[in-house]
Amino acid sequence: MKYFIQIYIISLLGAVCLIAFPLTVALAANDKVIDFLDDAFYDEEETEHTQVPDPLEPLNRWMFSFNDYSYTWVLEPVASGYSYVVPPDIRHSVDNFFYNLQEPVRCLNALAQARFSDAGTMALRFIVNSTGGVAGLGDPAGRELGLKAVDATLGETMGVWGVGDGFYMVVPLYGPTTLRDFTGTTVDSLALSPYYMWADGWEESMGIYLGKELNKLSLFLGDYEKMKQLSFDPYIAIRNGYFQTRTQMRNYKTTE
Amino acid sequence: MHIKKYCIFIMTVLAFWTLGLQGGATAAPDPTEQMKPFLDNIITQLKSEEFQNDTTCNQCNRIVELASEHFDFREMSKRVMGKQWKHLTPQQQDQFTELFTKLLQYAYIGQVNEYVDKKIEFTGQRIKGNRAEVKTKLMDENKEIPVSYIMILKGDNWMTYDIIVEGVSLVRNYREQIFSVLREEQFAGLITLLEKKIANLEAGNDEG
Repeated sequence: MKYFIQIYIISLLGAVCLIAFPLTVALAANDKVIDFLDDAFYDEEETEHTQVPDPLEPLNRWMFSFNDYSYTWVLEPVASGYSYVVPPDIRHSVDNFFYNLQEPVRCLNALAQARFSDAGTMALRFIVNSTGGVAGLGDPAGRELGLKAVDATLGETMGVWGVGDGFYMVVPLYGPTTLRDFTGTTVDSLALSPYYMWADGWEESMGIYLGKELNKLSLFLGDYEKMKQLSFDPYIAIRNGYFQTRTQMRNYKTTE
Repeated sequence: MHIKKYCIFIMTVLAFWTLGLQGGATAAPDPTEQMKPFLDNIITQLKSEEFQNDTTCNQCNRIVELASEHFDFREMSKRVMGKQWKHLTPQQQDQFTELFTKLLQYAYIGQVNEYVDKKIEFTGQRIKGNRAEVKTKLMDENKEIPVSYIMILKGDNWMTYDIIVEGVSLVRNYREQIFSVLREEQFAGLITLLEKKIANLEAGNDEG
């Protein structure tokens, strides 16, 4: 009986893969590739944000101000203090450590998106960095072997499988995202990342999250201020920047 | 007799064709070769003590003067405006170009120090007709930021009209900001907003 169930599950998975592969390839091919040298890119009436609606704009703007306020008065000072005390090497190691722990989740997502060579890269990176990189503190796979980090998220996987973005949203203490991508991130990090499972309760998980994000922020201090200085409507500048970065990242992976 | 004429004709065509090819090749300069000394020169100037001790106002003028050699602020403004550009009067186009250039110059002066201790590496280029993309990486010990210059060939010079930083097109980003202002407050509102932002940047820079 047990044996039967195993065969059943394996054949089911096989069938799913057989159907999924041509489907994903077809869907991936539909992605619009951006060419900056093409004037059409600048003439397009339709901009990124009209593709993903922003019906909650008033609420989002309020959240944006809230994030801006907490960034300026709490997060930035704390992260600056932290970056002053802790040397950059250590902060990069901490960042690497958390990044490495999520490599298996990334790999699963890449597989589900039929990006087999990226999935291979992720698996190799995980093995090399977990051993040679001392539990992921270093990144010998990227530095010595030229296996550069690639990302794959559940948000993307859902996109490949035809799930729409829903709408744009600004999440407190997290930032710009869409309904689909935020759902994906929550599942990716909360449900599938080992460090939240190790935690004893939600307080500890929250602590880990804040610590991880604070560490990350300390590596990008000043970027937000710069962006704000350059734009006259920071809300729209960030929203547009978010969508442009996302399109570019996903494009890059399908073309190269 | 006919064959001889025919041969001469073919040879002449071939001769002109090869000449034309060579002429074409020399007429279109290499974009990376133009960008390299240009960016090097800007960075050397920024690093110089003379520049560092200068007033903000002079610094701005100096940067625009240097940049205008391979940056086309009018082409940039045109694309920031998108389809609206054609609906503007020539005076409005000039006014917008002037203000937008000013905004960029004030905004970027605050970032000069960012560039000083970084290295620029040229990672490739792509040419398509009279357009080119020069890819670079802005590097320091810990970070690598990909920066691409999108250019149009004007005469013998490749002129930059967009900068892509980590996949984000500067023109496209400003355009979306401008669109929402134009929708709600028309051109006059946009000009007021630009002037206000420039005044803020000016004041901020003078304090600092």
